[in-house]
Amino acid sequence: MAAAEIGISAEPIDAQRCKFVVSVPVFAGGVRRFTGSDDAKGSPLAEAIFAIPGLAVNELIVSGNIVTVVKQSPTPWQAVGKPVGAAIRAALASDVPPVAAAPKPAGAVNDDSLYEQVARVFEEQVNPMVARHGGHVELIDVQDAVVMLRMGGGCQGCGMADVTLRQGIEGMLAQLVPAVRGIVDITDHTSGANPYFQASKK
Amino acid sequence: MLRPYIILSTVPRLLLLLPTTTYRTTAFVEAARQIGVELTVASEQASTLEAVNPAGLLTLDFEQPERAADAVRVFARQYPIDGVVGVDDRTALVAAAIATKLALRGNPVHAAIAASDKHVQREQLAKAAVPIPRFMLHNLEDDPAAIAKSLTYPCVLKPVRLSASRGVIRADNPQSFLAAHGRLRAILADPETAAACGDRARHYLIEEFIPGYEVALEGLVVDRRLHVLAVFDKPDPLDGPFFEETIYVTPSRVPGGLQAAIRDCADRAVRAIGITEGPVHAELRYNENGPWLIELAARPIGGRCSAVLKFGEAGSGKGVTLEEIILRHALGMPIPSLRRERLAAGVMMIPIPGAGMLQEVRGVAEANRVPLVEDVQITAHPGERLIPFPEGSRYPGFIFARGETPAAVETALREAHSRLTFVIA
Repeated sequence: MAAAEIGISAEPIDAQRCKFVVSVPVFAGGVRRFTGSDDAKGSPLAEAIFAIPGLAVNELIVSGNIVTVVKQSPTPWQAVGKPVGAAIRAALASDVPPVAAAPKPAGAVNDDSLYEQVARVFEEQVNPMVARHGGHVELIDVQDAVVMLRMGGGCQGCGMADVTLRQGIEGMLAQLVPAVRGIVDITDHTSGANPYFQASKK
Repeated sequence: MLRPYIILSTVPRLLLLLPTTTYRTTAFVEAARQIGVELTVASEQASTLEAVNPAGLLTLDFEQPERAADAVRVFARQYPIDGVVGVDDRTALVAAAIATKLALRGNPVHAAIAASDKHVQREQLAKAAVPIPRFMLHNLEDDPAAIAKSLTYPCVLKPVRLSASRGVIRADNPQSFLAAHGRLRAILADPETAAACGDRARHYLIEEFIPGYEVALEGLVVDRRLHVLAVFDKPDPLDGPFFEETIYVTPSRVPGGLQAAIRDCADRAVRAIGITEGPVHAELRYNENGPWLIELAARPIGGRCSAVLKFGEAGSGKGVTLEEIILRHALGMPIPSLRRERLAAGVMMIPIPGAGMLQEVRGVAEANRVPLVEDVQITAHPGERLIPFPEGSRYPGFIFARGETPAAVETALREAHSRLTFVIA
């Protein structure tokens, strides 16, 4: 695909984290999380993003059509978003797969165990509750004790999704699965067609 | 078995009043995380997870501020509250009631009422000789034909309690007044809208139309003193018949002396209404007679527009957002800076492209590629019904740009907008 045909929308989460929603799939093999340039070797997209001068990326998560970048640099996303977009476009325009399949890491056993625990919390506690608003939360993966999830149904695009995530799910996991180090929401909220609460005020 | 959290923290706790329909959730929640406070989010509808985090999630009746304040007083016995913030007109009033009851930093209730009720506000501003348009209050049941004959034109019809220019219509003659009156009556007949207007749902204002150039002023009141955070130009004329906003650009290109008069006018309005603490958003016009106060609200700028404001040394890691400033102020925490960054910045509230069901938006990537454009956020979702002004007020998205000069930023916003195509069925 020509780079110019690829649409990318940046959705900053905070000063450190930003989601880039791409109009075409970037990685269909689940979720890949990169924590450094060594980790990125073999995945041209990750290599390119870690190499962006001055960005100081310390984490990159790729899943489906969403690329989540976590940086240390204090430079606002507005100023550094375009090089990330350019790197995504260049990687997708290449003949080489932009992201290689994940190798089996040594610590996979712990993440597997965490995955099971988190999945149980989602299935038995979180989802029965959010279902009352037509929502559901899907556990995508656990990598290095970081939970990656996707919100769907009434949660996708909901004006209160961040409240559900930070005031609800995060606290539940902190209590029930304390080994979890963080949560990354990889939902494309802009595509939510039926949000339970829809922002409507100016 | 999940048990309710036990709170043994000495970290300050902030009560954030978030209506479920606000655009501001992420900005405020992330600001609270950034400054590391305990957060309780209160909304008018229950979160599905409220039972598992009773310290962090609360349901309050925003239509009954005193009742909400009583509920918070009970809540605070178990989870002491150190600050309260409302994010829109309605929750600013609830925040004032809570602040008064719990002796927290905030506005007196009478000031919050005046800030959210256009008629009360105008009466107080008039008493204090703040320049405002001539106005009169009418009931929708008053004979519009008789009123139409008595007016001087052009004039503007306004609901007393709606925001975002919803229902605001200019009339140039008796015929257009009657048409405007009919539309406003229909808008206020909507049950949800009527509920939002409370006991003012049957009233409206008729104001003198003030010709001139419009600006917006963003400020923070600290101990009765207004600190101006930004003055925005609104370069697109707002002459009606409807008043859909588009571009905000700061710093203002208005000459310095006139800006000083605008700031002074806003300061006088803040004092006249009795606002003592917290964010204010004012809209003013100026012409050959000087500045005129059009609206003053005890809340920050709406929508996602606040993303355009950065304070302190942006890019140095010491910069702060408007939300962080507001939360720090409410909690009495030090504020790193009230000085906006050096660069010019602007936001376009994307005009509602027409009535109908949104199918798709084309050209977002192209719009994002326009130099100086930092982000294009489409907030309307496919399948959403778009309703133009004056009946609607939900913008389909926002464009943000930053650059060396206000003119360059404005050009970039217009250029990016020209790349977008809204497909509506």
